[in-house]
Amino acid sequence: MTALILIIILCALFIYVAEDIPVFGDPNAPPIKAVKLFTMKADQVASLLDQHIVPGKLSRELVKRGLPPPSHIEKIPGMDGEWNAFIAKEESYYAKEEKYYWIKEEGDKVRVSRYAFVVRWIEKGLKETAVPNMVTYGLADYRGYDTLGETTVIFTAGVSVILLLRRRSRL
Amino acid sequence: MKEGKQETNIVVETVARVMIPFIQLFALYVIIHGTGGPGGGFQGGVVFASVFILYVITFNLAGGRERFPESANIVLSSLGLYVYGGIGLLAIIFSLGTAQYLNYGFIPFTSHFEENRALGMDFVEMGIGITVMAIIASIFFDLAQKKGRFKKGDGEGG
Repeated sequence: MTALILIIILCALFIYVAEDIPVFGDPNAPPIKAVKLFTMKADQVASLLDQHIVPGKLSRELVKRGLPPPSHIEKIPGMDGEWNAFIAKEESYYAKEEKYYWIKEEGDKVRVSRYAFVVRWIEKGLKETAVPNMVTYGLADYRGYDTLGETTVIFTAGVSVILLLRRRSRL
Repeated sequence: MKEGKQETNIVVETVARVMIPFIQLFALYVIIHGTGGPGGGFQGGVVFASVFILYVITFNLAGGRERFPESANIVLSSLGLYVYGGIGLLAIIFSLGTAQYLNYGFIPFTSHFEENRALGMDFVEMGIGITVMAIIASIFFDLAQKKGRFKKGDGEGG
């Protein structure tokens, strides 16, 4: 009887919690380093980027695709012909200014890519969680819901074995 | 494994007696250091449960059940899940409903948001470890003990 009440309380907790789960399936966040968006001619863009100016052509192209325009550009240290583009604070997923686009010069073209969540995961995890182990903050913090579900699966497996093998009378 | 008629081997028993505390200590180490190095609740829990298996195959099943009684097993198997869920719920309680479930930063363990998250992760790993340990041990004891389940005429019940 006590076990039944506890299980009902646990179910109620999970139902309450299920409303809190963040939205899944964001098409802009696949698990690779960066997603290629488009290429464009590099006639003026590269020199503008070197002077930390956001080219108007680039912003227009991004806005046309429904992406936030960059607020400022920085050269990647130690890399020639590669830039990071940052977005402003208003972007919906990030409260702070974030590194968002990766621009690379290839011959006479410029390739514009968007950083994936993994980059943020690697670079910001230690700062955000004070845990040096990338796997653990992924397992227990960023994907805490997933781990709660996994633990529930193990618990369910154990309860199923108890029900099947330990029953003393017919169910 | 017939109780009472079991062969005893002095070498195996001595080795098991010496090894079991160290394996338990190693399991606790794996759980506690899950945030700093390789390891975590799942691995540590399984290592801890392996101690019961070693005990049972060295000594006997009834002795193993005496050391880890069924009542404690049932309580522990759900306790870990309640620790996990409770830590998540504490975040909602302490932030008065403004934070998300499982957002450990809002639980005031320390004054730093980031260290709160690290400590919250530690407690969650402990919860996982307790549940995994108890469930693995429970499954092992259930599969190991015979209660005449396969006798004919006994019906479906055990």
